[in-house]
Amino acid sequence: MIGKAAAGGVVETAVILIVAAALWFAPAFAGDYWLQIGFRALIYLSLAEGWNLMAGSAGLVSLGASCFVGLGAYVVFGLLNKLDMPPPLALALAAAAGGALAAFVSPALFRLRGLYFTVGTLALAELLRLTMINVSLFGGATGIFLAQDPPDLPALFHCALVVAFLASLAITFCARTRASVILRAVRDDEDAAAQMGVRPFRVKLAAFALASAISAMAGGVQAIKLGAIEPYGIFGLQWSIDVLSMAIIGGVGLRLGPLVGVIFVIALGELLADYPEAHVAIAGVILIVLIRFAPRGVVGLVAYQKLASRRPATA
Amino acid sequence: MSEDARPLLEVSGLVKRYGGLVAIDRVDLKVPPGAIAGVIGPNGAGKSTLIGLIGGALTPSEGTIRLDGEDVTRLPASERARAGIGRTYQIPRPFLDMTVEENLEVAQYSIAPFIGAAAARKERAALLERAGLADASSLPARALPLLRRKRLEVARALALKPRVLLLDEVGAGLVDSEISELIALIRSISDHRTAIVIVEHVIRVVRECCGRSLVLNFGKMLIEGPTSEILANDQVAAVYLGTGGARTRADDKAAVPPEGAIHVRAPVEARTTLAALIAPPAASAKAPLLELQNVAAGYGQARVLRGVSMRLQEGEAIAVLGANGAGKTTLARVIAGAVAPTAGALRIEGRDVAGLAPHRIAALGVAHCMEGRRIFPTLSVEENLLVTARNGDATQVRERLQAAYDLFPILAERKMQIGTSLSGGQQQMLAIARALMARPRLVIFDEISLGLAPVIMDKLYDALALLKNARMTLILIEQDVDRALALADRAYVLEHGVFALSGAAREIAKDPRLRHVYIGDAD
Amino acid sequence: MPDIGVALSTIASGVLLGGILALTALGLSIVLGVMRLVNLAHGEFLVLGAYAGLFFLQFTGVDPLLGLPVIALLLAAFAIPLYRWLLQPLADRGPEAQMMTMFAVSIILQNLFVLAFSADTRSIARDYAALPLTLGPITVPLIYLIGFAISVIAILIVNWVVSSTAFGRDLRASAADAEAAATMGVDVKSVRMLTFALGVACAGMGGALIGAAFQFGPSSGGAYLLNSLAVVVLGGLGNVLGTLAGGLVLGALQSLGGLTLGDGYRDLVGMALFLAVLAFRPDGFLARGRP
Repeated sequence: MIGKAAAGGVVETAVILIVAAALWFAPAFAGDYWLQIGFRALIYLSLAEGWNLMAGSAGLVSLGASCFVGLGAYVVFGLLNKLDMPPPLALALAAAAGGALAAFVSPALFRLRGLYFTVGTLALAELLRLTMINVSLFGGATGIFLAQDPPDLPALFHCALVVAFLASLAITFCARTRASVILRAVRDDEDAAAQMGVRPFRVKLAAFALASAISAMAGGVQAIKLGAIEPYGIFGLQWSIDVLSMAIIGGVGLRLGPLVGVIFVIALGELLADYPEAHVAIAGVILIVLIRFAPRGVVGLVAYQKLASRRPATA
Repeated sequence: MSEDARPLLEVSGLVKRYGGLVAIDRVDLKVPPGAIAGVIGPNGAGKSTLIGLIGGALTPSEGTIRLDGEDVTRLPASERARAGIGRTYQIPRPFLDMTVEENLEVAQYSIAPFIGAAAARKERAALLERAGLADASSLPARALPLLRRKRLEVARALALKPRVLLLDEVGAGLVDSEISELIALIRSISDHRTAIVIVEHVIRVVRECCGRSLVLNFGKMLIEGPTSEILANDQVAAVYLGTGGARTRADDKAAVPPEGAIHVRAPVEARTTLAALIAPPAASAKAPLLELQNVAAGYGQARVLRGVSMRLQEGEAIAVLGANGAGKTTLARVIAGAVAPTAGALRIEGRDVAGLAPHRIAALGVAHCMEGRRIFPTLSVEENLLVTARNGDATQVRERLQAAYDLFPILAERKMQIGTSLSGGQQQMLAIARALMARPRLVIFDEISLGLAPVIMDKLYDALALLKNARMTLILIEQDVDRALALADRAYVLEHGVFALSGAAREIAKDPRLRHVYIGDAD
Repeated sequence: MPDIGVALSTIASGVLLGGILALTALGLSIVLGVMRLVNLAHGEFLVLGAYAGLFFLQFTGVDPLLGLPVIALLLAAFAIPLYRWLLQPLADRGPEAQMMTMFAVSIILQNLFVLAFSADTRSIARDYAALPLTLGPITVPLIYLIGFAISVIAILIVNWVVSSTAFGRDLRASAADAEAAATMGVDVKSVRMLTFALGVACAGMGGALIGAAFQFGPSSGGAYLLNSLAVVVLGGLGNVLGTLAGGLVLGALQSLGGLTLGDGYRDLVGMALFLAVLAFRPDGFLARGRP
C-alpha cells in the first residue's frame, strides 16, 4: 500500500511539474484576459491548498486567510520599499513571516477547539487589519504604494505560478507521504492520536505554519500586482470567505478539491460577469445546496458516484 | 510471577478527583516485566479512569506513575506512548476515515518516522495477521464492525511496540470462541520484556491470563492477590452481585430474601401523597402497557440488541439484569425512544410507537430515569423537577412538587441550588423525583445505584418500594442483582443482546446460571 | 491630556453604547449557547433589522423605536422558515455544516440588500438622534441614552424569558443536555427553532437601534458580527446578563482606548481584548474557573 501511495506521490509530482512547465509558456500564447484569470486562479489555488491542508488534514477550519494575505502584502511592500530587496527574497521572507506569526499565535489559538478556533482566526485577521489602519508607520487607512514599477503581467503570472507550484508540491508532500497519515490521525481524533505517540500540537502547528507561509507568499504576489495596498482590501474578510467557499465547493480534505473549487468559482464569476450584482448571491445558493446534498463538494460528489456505480460489481 | 523483579510499571498512591468526587483513591499497582495484571470491579468502580491515568489521557491529582523506574506522572499522553505505554479504548476509537493499515501506520511513523517502507509493511502484515485482520487491511476502519474494531485497537497499540500494554475491556461482547482467540492473542503478546494490564468484565480472560489481580470498588482497592484466590473470594462476589446480597447473607444463609423483605421504612401514609406522582390505571386495560416483539437495535455497525421480546402489565415491576455491555441501557433507550429499533415491534397499550420521538413517548406516560443521572447543570433543583411536569395545570404541578419533596425531603431543602451541586446520592434522588414529576404510567430506572454507598442505596430502594406498593409500573435496570430481584416481580437477564433467562424474580435469584452470566464459573 | 469633562463624557458614551452593543450581541449569544452555532449571518440580521426600522418609519410614519416589537416579530417570522429548511436538516451533521450554511445566507443577504436597497449608506433620520444631553460636566448623545434604556429593558425581558418561564427552562435544559431533555419530554427541535427565532428577533431590535444611532449599509454586517462576537466571548456564551456585562465592559474599554490612544484605536482595543479573553478564558471573563 505504501508503495502505491509513494508511487502516487511520484506521479502526482510529475504531473504538477509538467503542468507547471507547460503553464510557464502560457504568456506566449494567451492574451491578457486569460493571463489575468490565470493569475487570479493561481493565487486562489495557493490559498485554497493551504486552507485545505489545515481543515482537511488537521481539522483546523480557518476564517483567517486574509490575515496572512495582508501580512504577506505588508511585509513584501516594506522590504521592497525600504530595503530595495529583490522580489523573490522579499517573498521568501514574507512566507517566513507568515509562518512565524502562525507559530506566535498558535499557543493561544490551539487552546480553542472547533468553532472557537474559527472565531479566533477571524478576530486575529481583524486585529491585524485594525493595527495597520491605526499605525501610521504602516501607512494608516490609506495604505502604501509600491515605490518601484510593478512588473508586467507575464512576469506576475510567472510569480503566481511559482507560488502555486510550491504550494502544490508542499501539499503533495503532506498528502502522499507518511506525514498524511499523522495529519489525518490528528484530524480524526486528537486524543487517540496522542495515545499513538503523535504530538498533536506540533502537527497542527506545522500545518498551520505551512498554510500561513503559503498564504503570505500569495498575498505578497497579489500586492505587487496591485501596486498599492490598503488595509480594508488586503485584510478584507472577502479573502477568507472566497478561499473557504472555494475549498468547500471543491471538497474539503480531497486532493483535487481546491483546484476544482477555484476553477468552479472563477468560471462561475466569469459566466455571471454580466450580472455582477447577483454573482455573490448565486455563489451563496450553490454553497447551501452543496453543503446540504454534497458534503464532500463537487469532487466528493463525482468520486462518490463513481464508487456507487462500481459497488454492485464488487459486492 | 516473581515478587522481587523490578516492576516495569509502578503506580503508587494514585488519586484522581473530579471536583468532590474521588474516582480513584490511593491505588497501588506493580507489574514486573513478563507479568499480566488484571483489574476487575463493578461498573463505575474507576477501572477505565485508572487506564486513562496510566496512559496519560488524564492527569492524576496525587501519586506517581513510574515506567521502568522513570517518573512519567507529568508527561502528556503522546510522550508516554513514545516511552512505551500503549493502551486501547474501552469504546474503540479507530481513525474512522483511514484504512486499517493506515491506522497502524500512525503509531509506526510517530515513533519511527524514517523506518524503512518494506520493514514497516512487514511489521504491519504480521500485526494484522496476529489480530486476525489480515483480510481487512485496505478497508476503511469505519467499515469494521465493533468486534473487529476492538481487534484493531489492540493491533494499533501493538504497533507502538509498547513495553506496557493497557487493555481496556477488549473482551466485552465476544462469544466464547472469540474469547479463546483473544486469550491466545494476549498470551502471545506477553513476553519477558512486556508488562500487560487488563481491565476486564469477562472474568474468563482474567482467570486465564492474569497471574495477579486487583479488585476496585468505589475507586478504592478492595483486594489484591493471586487471581485464583481473588475469584474465589466471597467479598468479590458480593461486589459483583450487589450489596443487597451481602446484607441478606449475613443473617440468613438463603440468598433469596423472603417475601416482604423489601425495606420499607417510610410510613404507609406516604402512599396517599404519592398519588400525585402516579398516573391512575387505565379505565379499560386492553393491551399490555408495554410490549416488545423481537426488537433489535444498535448504533451504526454495532448491533446491541438482537431480538428481545417482553410484555409488561400495568402495576408490574420487572428487573432487567445482565453483565456490562449486554445491552441493558440500550433496551432502556429503545423504550424511551432515544434509539429507534431497527427491527421488531414496540407497543405501548397496543399502539405501535417504534420510531416515535422521545418527547412523544414521554407524553404517553413513559418516564426514563437515565443512567448517569443526567441532571441539568444549569438548572436549579426545582427547575430540574419542573422540566418533566409538562402535562398538568399549576395546581397539579404544585401537588406533584410537594409529593416529590415529601418523598425526598432533602430536595426541598436544596430546591434553589444548582442541580449538580448536590452529592451523588442526592442527585440520584433528584433524577428519580424528576422522572416521577411527569406523573408517568411507567418508569424505567437505569442503574440508579451506580457508584453509591449502600446506605444511600437503601434509601433509594425504600422509595422504589413505596412506588411499587402504590402500583406504579417499574422497569429496574440494575447491576445490584440482589436488590433488583428483591423488589421485582419478574426478571429478564440479558446476555449478548438477547434474553438468556427470564421468569419470576425468586426463581431467577436461585438459578445458578445467573452467577455464570456475571462472573462465569468460579471454579 | 483631554479635560475631565470630555473624558467623563467619552466614558459615559462608551458605557451607554456598550448597552446597545449588548442587545446586538444577545441574539448571537443565545443561538450559540443553545445550538452551538456561530451564526455567521448575525451581522446581516442586524442590518436587516436596521432596514426594517428604516422602512417601518417610511411606511407608517411611526417612530421605529416604538415599532421595535413589530420589527422583532417580522424578523422572527423570517427566521423560522430559515431554520426549518436550512438548518434543521443539518442538525446531525456537526456544527461546521450549519455554520457554513449561515455564512452562505450572510453573503446572499448582503447581495440582496445591495439589489433591493442599493449600496448607499443610510441612517434612520430622527431629529432626536443628533441631540446632546447634558448632565453636569457630562454630555452624551440623547440617542445613546434612549438606546441604552431600550437595550437594558429588552435584555431584562429576554433574561426573564430564559430564566423564569417554562420555555426558558426547556431552552436551558436543551442547551445543557439535548438528549436528556428530549427524554424528559422536551421537544428539542421546536425549542431550537424558537430559540433561533428569538435570537434573530433580538438581532432585529438591536439592528434597528444601531440604525437609529449610526449609519449603516449593506456590508455593515461583518463589523457588527465581530463586535457581537467580542461581547459574547467577554460575557460568556448563552449567559444573558453576562452579555449585558460584556457589552458594558467592551463599550467602556473601547472608549477608554479611543480616549488615550486616539479614536482609531477603539476597535483595536476591543479586538485585542476579545482575543485575549478568547485565548485565556474561553468561557467568558465572568465565568468561574473550569472544574
